[in-house]
Amino acid sequence: MAVRLQYENSNDIGVFANLTNSYCITALGGSENFYSVFQSELASDIPVVKTSIAGTRLVGRMSVGNKNGLLLPNSVTDQELLHMRNSLPDDLIIQRVDERLSALGNCIACNDYVALIHPDLDEETEEIVADVLGVEVFRQTIAGNTLVGSYCCFTNQGGVVHPQTTIQDLDELSSLLQVPLVAGTMNRGSDVISAGLIANDWAAFCGLDTTSTELQVVENILKLKQLQPSSLVTNLRASLVDALV
Amino acid sequence: MQYNFKKITTVPTAKDFIDVVLSRTQRQTPTVVHRGYAITRIRQFYMRKVKYTQTSWNEKLSKILEDFPRVDDIHPFYSDLLNVLYDKDHYKLALGQLNTAKNIIDKIAKDYVKLLKYGDSLYRCKQLKRAALGRMCTIMKKHAASLAYLEQVRQHMSRLPSIDPNTRTILVCGYPNVGKSSFMNKVTRADVEVQPYAFTTKSIYVGHTDYKYLRWQVLDTPGILDRPLEERNTIEMQSITAMAHLRAVVLYIVDASEQCGYTIKQQADLFHSIKPLFANKPLVIAVNKVDVRKLEDLKPEDAALIAGMRAAVRGPAALTLGEEEELPCMSTLSEEGVMEVKRVCCDKLLAARVEQKLASRRAGEVLNRLHVAQPKPRDNISRPAVIPHSVAINKAKKASGELKIVTEKMLQEENGGAGVYNADLRKNYLLDNDDWKYDIMPEIYNGKNVADFIDPEIDERLAELEREEEELEAKFQEDKAAAEMEMEPDLDDEEKELLGQVRARRAKLVSEHRRKKSVANNVPTMRRDRTSDPERRLTTTRMKESLGAMGIDTTLAVARARSASAVREGRKRSRSLAGNGGDEDVDAMDADGEEKPRVHSSKSRSVSVARRTSKSKGAGLRDESEKMRAQKLADKAQRKMNKRAKTGEADRVIITKMPKHLFSGKRGNGKTDRR
Repeated sequence: MAVRLQYENSNDIGVFANLTNSYCITALGGSENFYSVFQSELASDIPVVKTSIAGTRLVGRMSVGNKNGLLLPNSVTDQELLHMRNSLPDDLIIQRVDERLSALGNCIACNDYVALIHPDLDEETEEIVADVLGVEVFRQTIAGNTLVGSYCCFTNQGGVVHPQTTIQDLDELSSLLQVPLVAGTMNRGSDVISAGLIANDWAAFCGLDTTSTELQVVENILKLKQLQPSSLVTNLRASLVDALV
Repeated sequence: MQYNFKKITTVPTAKDFIDVVLSRTQRQTPTVVHRGYAITRIRQFYMRKVKYTQTSWNEKLSKILEDFPRVDDIHPFYSDLLNVLYDKDHYKLALGQLNTAKNIIDKIAKDYVKLLKYGDSLYRCKQLKRAALGRMCTIMKKHAASLAYLEQVRQHMSRLPSIDPNTRTILVCGYPNVGKSSFMNKVTRADVEVQPYAFTTKSIYVGHTDYKYLRWQVLDTPGILDRPLEERNTIEMQSITAMAHLRAVVLYIVDASEQCGYTIKQQADLFHSIKPLFANKPLVIAVNKVDVRKLEDLKPEDAALIAGMRAAVRGPAALTLGEEEELPCMSTLSEEGVMEVKRVCCDKLLAARVEQKLASRRAGEVLNRLHVAQPKPRDNISRPAVIPHSVAINKAKKASGELKIVTEKMLQEENGGAGVYNADLRKNYLLDNDDWKYDIMPEIYNGKNVADFIDPEIDERLAELEREEEELEAKFQEDKAAAEMEMEPDLDDEEKELLGQVRARRAKLVSEHRRKKSVANNVPTMRRDRTSDPERRLTTTRMKESLGAMGIDTTLAVARARSASAVREGRKRSRSLAGNGGDEDVDAMDADGEEKPRVHSSKSRSVSVARRTSKSKGAGLRDESEKMRAQKLADKAQRKMNKRAKTGEADRVIITKMPKHLFSGKRGNGKTDRR
């Protein structure tokens, strides 16, 4: 089930939280509302940690991780690092990355097996991503955008990418990532997918503005319901083409 | 584009039109004029009336011309329909006449306004106005017929069904009485009149139905007979128009029972004669009234005719969907097969439209959003989802209410709400020992960031560093010994000693130079104290000695040097004796006022007053006490002012904001100088 929520009147929840299969990081806020949504959905299964990164609340854009590890920018403070180390399980590797492009969440997109990274990222960072997160790394762009982390969101079961991704690109990316992909939008037409959607293999969270159509697409492609993702599209394809074109 | 003719404004009859415009002029323009008024004013009064009337006509006529659709600009279906219903020529003529009337009225107004300029009395002006308005009204009266016709057209158009010519449309056609309207009633909620006689339906009706999440427009057309186009009546022509111009699926209904009064042969003939209209359109032939006569019960020649129609459908012009669906049968009475007919029609049209749209340029933008990219396997690694087992269990528990999570929000509400509640960040720490959770960790210790020194392998690294250090040290010692062995050339003791001296001297010079440089760089002026003269070389004794050695009398020089030293009281201003040292500047009176002979050749040069060399005590006044007195006087003068917190003479003041003499008086037109 996908949940719709908001962070202090902002729909870009992906900026303020980071979700993987083994932990969830959320931003500190004025109230506990945002954190509590994650807590009630996830806390029984994985740790949900409230922290700032480099003194900012942009935890979702500053960090990137999967079930194996967590990468943090160089600007993260020692206290934050200590707090995260204490709050997250010991088998998880937490690594600071000395990378010029410090918004790691915007530059890297990954699931537990594959990662897409910004083409300008250092060789060294690429190695760290491969080692710490235990993934295959591909330098890629999505629909001409180098910020791969911003314009796509994928789990081990499926993913959503920028709405203007061409069919060829979709097929190519899908084969790289080995998950089904669909081009879509979040937050009532926003193309910044990962600002509007955060997901792991069994839960997803969307911005409050997300329409029910967008929500359906997300739930189908991420296999959050017991439904084949393609069934809807194959049945309705003709109707959709006639209505949309 | 929406085709909605309901919003056309009413066209009044000629009489009403004239009344409306004239009474409007009467109401909206001034009504009182006197003979005694200036003639220009009278002229203006009547010109205004003429002009106003002309504008009113113009406005109203333009609105009519604008509201009525132009036959050439609208969808061909509508343009043909208008032609069939209202006769295009007549329609165009009526609108054209109104347009001409509008232009003539404009011209009349122009002419009479021109004439009014020469009106020399109130009476004449009034007559000119009357003539102008009268002519305008006469013109409109002449077009009474056009106005009446347009009003009728308007009323009829506003009752036309709003057909969207571009949407998905099912066009039902066939002979009269074959069951077109019955089909319409079954698939839509249009509730069209159904009667057992021909031409029950006299115009096109619209209904809507849903299929595959889309809205479909169903058009019920009047029945048509098999005769040449020229002989067709208006009712039939509407059907023909729809068939010719709408991009729709055509559903041709055949009455198998022949109860409609036309044989299957006739129906097949009609189909073949109007077939050209169906080119490039999906086409479905449905056999109706199978409750009366089954398809199998038909006579062989009739069956052959139906097969012939079927073959035509399958021809190159038509699009095929599936072989077995080519000839659906239905009974609108028993509702058997009706939905099947609808399904076939919709599927065929949808397929055709999709094919057409996919070829268009816009398709690419949308298609990628309808595409689910499925991965092609690139290796044999399996990448399963990672979902902890607890997820399903906890989900079930949560659903049953067994597991309840106390969220921070609940705690927050209990403890004073947002802004008051301070969440415990350490509560959920995962540590080996829960007692450690709240341990205080120093962040800075002895001026160092503790985190920088946290290193689990610190001991090993230290050992390694030390080992490295030792190695380096040993190597250095070896190198040094080797270098010394090489360096020492053979010198005897004396030479060695000399070398030592040279080195010591050089070291001394260098250090001396560096000290001086540092002193010189850091001090803004040359200091005359011991710091700048550590060796006590600049003494009067030494000066006396060195000058004495040169044979110069040194008493004055010494005295002056002493007086310049900071600690002593300043010496009295004095002059050295002329020619005494030869190098002294002697040009003025002696200290005791004795007149000295002038040394300058010219008397014109005034006596120079030497610049004051030391700070005077009175600062311009005679002495310290005078200065103090002056200060006190100044303070006293200010005291009263300060006490009353009044403006002082230093404060900015505007005495009079606008001096009367500068701002009074009239200003003429185009002149800023008022006096």
